[in-house]
Amino acid sequence: MDRIQSVDRRVLYTLIFISVIIPVMWPLHLPTPETPEARAFFDAVEAIPPGSVVLFPFDFWPSTLPETEPMAVAGLRHCFRRDLKVVGLSNVGIGGPSVADRLLDSIGAEYGKVYGVDYVNLGYKAGYQAVLLGMANSIAAIFPTDHRGTRLDSLPLMQRALNYDSLSFVLIVSDNAMADYWVALVNARYGLPMVAGVTAVMAPKMLSYIHTGQIKGLLGGMKGAAEYEALLGESDMASRGMDAQSLIHLLIIGFIILGNIGYVASRRRPSPARAG
Amino acid sequence: MKSRLPVIVAFLAGVLMIVAFFGRGAVVDRVAEEALAWQTIVAGFALLLGVGSIVRVHWHRLATGHPDRIYSLVLLICLTVMGGSGVLFGIGSGTLFDSLFERIQAPMMSTMFSVLAFFIASAAYRAFRARNVLSAILLLTAVIVMLGRIPMGQYIYHALPDWANWIMMVPSVAVQRGIIIGAALGAASMALRVILGIERTYLGQGG
Repeated sequence: MDRIQSVDRRVLYTLIFISVIIPVMWPLHLPTPETPEARAFFDAVEAIPPGSVVLFPFDFWPSTLPETEPMAVAGLRHCFRRDLKVVGLSNVGIGGPSVADRLLDSIGAEYGKVYGVDYVNLGYKAGYQAVLLGMANSIAAIFPTDHRGTRLDSLPLMQRALNYDSLSFVLIVSDNAMADYWVALVNARYGLPMVAGVTAVMAPKMLSYIHTGQIKGLLGGMKGAAEYEALLGESDMASRGMDAQSLIHLLIIGFIILGNIGYVASRRRPSPARAG
Repeated sequence: MKSRLPVIVAFLAGVLMIVAFFGRGAVVDRVAEEALAWQTIVAGFALLLGVGSIVRVHWHRLATGHPDRIYSLVLLICLTVMGGSGVLFGIGSGTLFDSLFERIQAPMMSTMFSVLAFFIASAAYRAFRARNVLSAILLLTAVIVMLGRIPMGQYIYHALPDWANWIMMVPSVAVQRGIIIGAALGAASMALRVILGIERTYLGQGG
């Protein structure tokens, strides 16, 4: 029984590796159960009138791309499909603006959208609290130029997006406390409606804001992204990732049960000192 | 005066932001807008200060033959190449900076993060033991949530996703909200201490 409690970590690591590789090579196509908060996220975006301007913060580091990128991709597809105008920005200096640029350009191209007319990337500006509060009065005062160095007054979309009063919605994708700042500074002060896609570890905290109505909907981790893809009628990165996540969860639970069987058995067995 | 001036600036800036947050008016909005634009400029210079500091520390390590100087050298080379490529050739799509980021930095950061899966699995196996009633409840809750949040959960037992949702939406949210309120009260009292000049650790002095 002691051996059950002390399986070599190399065996564990090999099994985890196999559990990730198998569903990536041979997808299981398991349907992801829909949660009310993911449905609310989808419905909130559906309810925005076509042509409205949406703020899209790409507030995530490259390290969490497997969780956050599928949400951002699905969110952009939903926005462009509904003919919403997207103003992107990032409060993460390392990587945020580059990821925003890549996703906006690639998804924009899928729908024939034009930079400056249908979407803009404002890039990054240091001092996130000042950025969030400052944009309430004037976006151009905080971002005189976009990520590419073009002056905002020469971009047609930015003639319509002057401050929070001219925006309809915020679609946050975040892996850090920036999501809280958007809620606490922008929703609480200016009442701008918003939804959030966050990493799985952040989801329990963000669910509090669903209860209070401060965010309209929530995507939690890869599962949330997979639900959103399903609601959009697509099967993309997150749906494929959920197969691997399913196997990993089952494997971890299996090992926890195994470890506990060994633990209970070792407690029932009399210790050598007492037996002797 | 050396310590009094920063305290006066902190007091005025803090009061201005409180007034701007709770009240609206042309003058307040204009002054707050100007102050926030200044803050982003100051934050930009703070980044420069950080770069200067990190270069100074690691240059000193190289110059004095510190045992870990090889890491300092790697850091300074990376800082120069990334920073230099961005300043000289721009940071937009298709630039050298963008390629370095997309092909080196992003995969490295994702790799570091993905390694967590191996450690979490190993740690869960070794540490998650039902040693008493409370840890057994924790274990059972974790298993329900883990199973209920994956597609296979509904095939194991049809009500598992609903149970997992209830745990997430009721007990978990209750605790999270307590934490959020506690943290907010702590942040508010800390801000008040800074505004009133009681907390001066940011000046390099004790509170």
